[in-house]
Amino acid sequence: MKPIEYVTSLDEWYQSQGFPPYRWSQFDSSPWTPFDKPLGEARIALVDSAGIFRDDQEPFDPWAVNDLSFRRIPVDTPRERLKLHHNYFDHRDALKDINCIYPVDRLRELAEEGTIGALVPEAITLGMGRLYKRTALQQETVPKIVEILKEQGTDAALLVPA
Amino acid sequence: MERVKPPRSAFVNFPLGRQCGKPNDPELQKSILKDALDLLTTATRPGEIRHLPFEWGAPFDWKNFMQDLAKMLEEEGTEMQEWKPKD
Repeated sequence: MKPIEYVTSLDEWYQSQGFPPYRWSQFDSSPWTPFDKPLGEARIALVDSAGIFRDDQEPFDPWAVNDLSFRRIPVDTPRERLKLHHNYFDHRDALKDINCIYPVDRLRELAEEGTIGALVPEAITLGMGRLYKRTALQQETVPKIVEILKEQGTDAALLVPA
Repeated sequence: MERVKPPRSAFVNFPLGRQCGKPNDPELQKSILKDALDLLTTATRPGEIRHLPFEWGAPFDWKNFMQDLAKMLEEEGTEMQEWKPKD
């Protein structure tokens, strides 16, 4: 089955309402760092853009524009303390099982089974959409996240878009 | 993903909101993660997008996406934000 062309469909939908075209990020090349560890020894970090936060943290606002903030969520946070504020995809399945978009329990199991070396103690969530300040995201927000991941001995980050 | 070109990426052709798997199906979810993480040790060229072989099992398209969203908003009693372009 052909994947949905989200970018084209979103462009059509918003432009039909009178918005100027969104300048989607486009890069000419892809960065590369060789990965030399066996997966079973790798410390993996979860970075997720699903608008998830813990009940004692500042909520994500689904109507925000240019929200460059991120949350650090301990991966052993009980499910009932996790909140999801995102109204731009059908999140009903995610409310039944958060792992549909935030696979924290499965990653913990993979670590217990030895498939991965470890799941890094904090997951990072960010990215509520309608982000126009791409330069700030790349030059200010991301280096902070990278520092946090490095402090926790991350070998590789798994980015889950939502 | 083709525009952004992450160094290694895996694509699962599931509806948005279920890209890591179906709810309460831990085996499927773990398989997806394992296949995605496998790229770390098996990808050889930057920008590869590996299409994972999982099938959702029912067709879905942009119209379904919008309909599901509308149903969800109705069930939850919230509304789609009315964004208006600045004049």
